[in-house]
Amino acid sequence: MRLKIFAAVAASSLSLCCLSGTASAAARHPDLSGYWSTNTPPSIEDPALKAKLSPNAVILHDTGAPELQPGDFGGLKLKPEVAAAAAKWDPRSDFTLDKACLAPSIIYAMQGPFPLEIFQDEHLIVIKLEYFEMTRIVHMDGKHPPADAPHTKTGHSTGRWEGDTLVVDTTHLSGATITNNGLYHSDNVHVIERFKLSPDGKKLISSQEFEDPETIDNRGARFIAWQKQDGQYLNAYECDPTFALNYGAK
Amino acid sequence: MPKLLPSLAGLAMAFTASAALAHHSFAVFFDQDKVQKVTGVAQDFRFANPHGTLTLLVKGKNGEAETWKAETNSPSILLRRGWKKDSIKVGETITIEGWMARDGSHYMRMMKASRGDGSVIGIPIEADRYRSVADQK
Repeated sequence: MRLKIFAAVAASSLSLCCLSGTASAAARHPDLSGYWSTNTPPSIEDPALKAKLSPNAVILHDTGAPELQPGDFGGLKLKPEVAAAAAKWDPRSDFTLDKACLAPSIIYAMQGPFPLEIFQDEHLIVIKLEYFEMTRIVHMDGKHPPADAPHTKTGHSTGRWEGDTLVVDTTHLSGATITNNGLYHSDNVHVIERFKLSPDGKKLISSQEFEDPETIDNRGARFIAWQKQDGQYLNAYECDPTFALNYGAK
Repeated sequence: MPKLLPSLAGLAMAFTASAALAHHSFAVFFDQDKVQKVTGVAQDFRFANPHGTLTLLVKGKNGEAETWKAETNSPSILLRRGWKKDSIKVGETITIEGWMARDGSHYMRMMKASRGDGSVIGIPIEADRYRSVADQK
């Protein structure tokens, strides 16, 4: 009988220990969970995040709805062959029935004028975008993918906390547009993002920095901001490729 | 920022047009400084991503009927601005104000849509939506 009571108390103590350990770990870091709407303005250049950018990173001013004009790459230094390809780029050639509903990679997708939802746990953070219903998994256990893992538009992300800032490191992206005007990144682009809450917790502020030695000689960066909105949900992003028929697609 | 090791697979250069795709760009196709307003009778209304479309039969300057087309922002965005799948019905008189296509065609990106009685459909798109911070400075 005494052994049973002892075992029960020991089991309870162990459970409380582990639960409180998990709760403590979660409480140590800000909670980024929730529905995040596009912010006005869509970009906030946080000084602390800006200080973390690489010295040769140029900040692109195309967050949200604004976009760079053809031939303007915001200060990115294109490799000669990449610049030549961008100069020859015909936007209508991309507007075909089989391409009209293809998602971009997270480099372009994260700055789009669409909301996102974040689900946060100690081991995994899930970022769901309304844009093309893309879902990003951020592994918080430091586990890197095998070198032969497939490349996708969301890639493979690992995360860690630097104080109150979530740092997300992404590789294994598949090639896609950077600036939506003929400049594309390769499959070997590398992205570092930093996410933090505003002091009142109502805004989510991020920096995105990418390097791609196969296509650009310097690095690019964006600042992206969202605002918390309770009681909202992501809409479905059902895509109809026949839209491309308006641009002469066959 | 940690450097990546070079990869032979990377030499396949995913930036060729056949392998990659650019999303439909406002800056490429539309002139943010050229806004026009047209009134016509709705012939069809498509409410689907990536952009909805509305076709209007408009009376031209010489009295002949002209077909005009306006594309909208993503319906995912318009739903939050009060639009619905059936916000416009075929046969309705609609006035569209929008940014003109750069190629001079009767095609625009919708900023605002109004009914024959003057009532505005949903919340219009802001006139400076597509201007970057750098443009505005």
